[in-house]
Amino acid sequence: MSDRFDSTVTTTCGYCGVGCRLEAHVRDGRIASISPALDGPANAGHTCLKGRFAHQFSRSRERLTAPLIRESGGFRIATWEEAVHRISTELNRIKHDHGPDAIAGLASSRATNEDCYAMSRLMRAAIGTNNLDNCSRVCHSPTSFALRKAFGLSGATGSFADIDAADAAIIIGANPSHGHPVVGARIKQATLRGLQLVTIDPRRIELADYGVLHLSPRPGTNAAVMLGLGHVVARDGLVDEEFIERRTEGYDEAEALMALYTPEHVEEITGVPGRDIEAAAHIYGEAGDASILWGLGVTEHKYGSEVVRLICNLAMMSGKVGRPGSALLPLRGQNNVQGSSDMGALPDTYTAYRPVSDELVARSFEERWGVPLSREKGYTIPQMFHAAVDGRLKAMYIFGEDVAQTDPNTTHVVAALESLEFLVCQDIFETETTKYADVILPASAFLEKSGTFTNAERRMQLVAPAIEPPGGAKTDLEIIMTISRALGHEMGYATSAAVMDEIAALTPTFAGVSHERIGRRGLQWPVAPDGTDSPILYADEFELPRGKGQFAALPYMAPGDAADEEFPLVLVTGRRLEHYNAGTMTRRTGNLELLDRDWLEIHPDDAARLWITDGQTVSVRSRVGRIETEARVTERIEPGHVFTAFHFPEVRTNLLIGSSADVNTSCPEYKVVAVDVRPVAEQPAFTPALAQPALS
Amino acid sequence: MLVTIDDQTIEVAPETTVLEAIHALGGDVPTLCYDPRQAPFGACRACLVGAEGARGPIPACTTPCRDGMTIDTRDVTARRVVTAVVELVLSELPQPPGAHTELAAVARELGIGDGLRWPGASHERRHDERHPYLALQHELCISCGRCVRACDEVQGAFALTATGRGFSANVTAGLDAGFRDSSCVSCGACADTCPTDAITEITLLNIARTTPGERT
Repeated sequence: MSDRFDSTVTTTCGYCGVGCRLEAHVRDGRIASISPALDGPANAGHTCLKGRFAHQFSRSRERLTAPLIRESGGFRIATWEEAVHRISTELNRIKHDHGPDAIAGLASSRATNEDCYAMSRLMRAAIGTNNLDNCSRVCHSPTSFALRKAFGLSGATGSFADIDAADAAIIIGANPSHGHPVVGARIKQATLRGLQLVTIDPRRIELADYGVLHLSPRPGTNAAVMLGLGHVVARDGLVDEEFIERRTEGYDEAEALMALYTPEHVEEITGVPGRDIEAAAHIYGEAGDASILWGLGVTEHKYGSEVVRLICNLAMMSGKVGRPGSALLPLRGQNNVQGSSDMGALPDTYTAYRPVSDELVARSFEERWGVPLSREKGYTIPQMFHAAVDGRLKAMYIFGEDVAQTDPNTTHVVAALESLEFLVCQDIFETETTKYADVILPASAFLEKSGTFTNAERRMQLVAPAIEPPGGAKTDLEIIMTISRALGHEMGYATSAAVMDEIAALTPTFAGVSHERIGRRGLQWPVAPDGTDSPILYADEFELPRGKGQFAALPYMAPGDAADEEFPLVLVTGRRLEHYNAGTMTRRTGNLELLDRDWLEIHPDDAARLWITDGQTVSVRSRVGRIETEARVTERIEPGHVFTAFHFPEVRTNLLIGSSADVNTSCPEYKVVAVDVRPVAEQPAFTPALAQPALS
Repeated sequence: MLVTIDDQTIEVAPETTVLEAIHALGGDVPTLCYDPRQAPFGACRACLVGAEGARGPIPACTTPCRDGMTIDTRDVTARRVVTAVVELVLSELPQPPGAHTELAAVARELGIGDGLRWPGASHERRHDERHPYLALQHELCISCGRCVRACDEVQGAFALTATGRGFSANVTAGLDAGFRDSSCVSCGACADTCPTDAITEITLLNIARTTPGERT
């Protein structure tokens, strides 16, 4: 071969939830190049521009390389000893004065399973509170909730390979070509081989051009679409009666409710032509095997968790779950949002979603950790911010999350952060959130540490360090263990593999997991003690009492926000291919050259009515905030709707998002925001008819 | 069905290609247009092997196994043709390919040195480095089609096109508009599969330029 590289390390991508296996090629202590691992089970030798190219952020000059301590209005560089001392002193003081529940922590869905587990131990054992959450709260918590209720386990029922085995597929509320590009490419190839694809999204996503049918429901009306599909499947005899009878409960009630949702009625609610509802139901119902994929366009709604239940209904009544080609595949957003929740970085559960109130489970952790543990549920992320503003919460430890840019109702988040007596941020860059910190700890990127990520197929895969953390930055596991030690609780893990061994020992779902067994192919949980993993769940029975899947009779309910005279357009937010969420990583790479701004997509009819031209700066005002951005006139979006991403702090799209949230999980309603859009610069004398070039 | 390769017999499933059977036995033959991520193409003729009863060498990558087939990967005629083919490919390049490239590895395996038997016209240097990550070095293109197929069959972006004929055959992004103004989604699958660095990464190009023994 060649001597171009000093070393090559196989690891798992730290961008989206697809979980591409990568070969990281290193030269002179830096990543020189990244290529896809040919044997990567999720990516099969392919990856996208984020995984392959967007690695220069790891050696950005803006990386945090030393602890920072707030002092006289600014930050000064501190030693690790000073920073750790400051943190332990302050946390001990607050714990002493106000009790452990005055402290809350956020684990990072970009960090490893081992990091998140250690963070859970830090909060629960070293501090003594269940006030711990992770950013799945604001993305797929509704999916997790609903899948547990309907089927029993919080994860995809199958694997990406089911896309290749399916005859038909429905994608609802996801844009995989941008958000999960390698899965997007896989779906596209499947359509070129004959997969009958139905896309359901307010925007005409790229994959719609490869599908057989696209439905554009009004934002917030997914429930009606799913009820309508169920109605037609039942009406036209496409149900799998044997499956319903043998493997499920509650169908009759669900069927009675679906009977009300005729295609005509659904058309009134959603704007989707009734005949398209019928056609989509037949494509799904008549297919031998069909899968359903969804993303945040399903979950980030007031009734997001209920729509996921309705998706489960449709799959069960059609008998399309638990076999190759018939899977339910939620496209998890971040690289380890599945794993951070699996690891118990949640206010109400230990590993594998076992309640903190479960006496036996709690005792097993008490025995292992040697301290008494709280049986009380902690705060969710939104509850943390409320408690901070109310003065009940005094300190937060935020690990790898930029809540001030990504969470809804930014004003409230900032007010909460400002109310805290003490804020620790552990991150790789300064962010909007670190502006409010008292101590900032320099952490490590995925290319610099070891552990595991769990992708959207429940596949646990190894993460291996290719390069060193820069300067004085440390790995997250080391930082968390150091803080814990300073608080008097020694974790004592020699390696990340030792953390996984403890997780396996305490969690039946992960009983057979070890770093060695994960190897190059990964393991899809549940993993039996002998190491047998589970590419497909529920082949014979569901993980619920009596083994029965549960139907839910849930009606369509109007979203939390709606267009009115003052705010006549509905804003949907989402992502673009070149960038990743808050853009902290991708904006520090050449991807910025490919895409350097956010913009607002608006339909030509709306643009003409509002005298908005392509490229013009527009004001977007919601009930809670206002931003300015560039307008792009496109027919990919329906009239009445507008779309933008949230990758750029210059725009701060989330200033527009209010506090409406999923009724079961408090996942914010990012996807339905009534807005008023108008040009920023109004001309003093203007009529469109005389404007050149004419608005058509 | 059973096939015998270099005196070893292996059972293979229907539709297995001769090349896949060779790989299954742990063997290999030179290839340039082959990439396991893509459908067999059969453009380069570097994988020619001898088959008992055949009129001449056959391409291993596109030939399906037949029951009872006997393959000789060291067939003298096949080797002679392959060496000539690869030497002709090399003769069109203005400089030898970088040592790390697949083309260089194939040349080494076939014992082809710097002294070519048929020196002739070589491609003129033509570079496009307008993309932040991807570079085109047109003079290194050997028309194997791997980049075009990666773009079509793996990513589905359909941004690359084969252009020209004969000596002028080459590849173009977005009808010469370059990667950025084409339907390219910057996935890099083309650079990943290219056996000559006709498409490569800017960062790797910069490394090659400063590394002794490596040439672009």
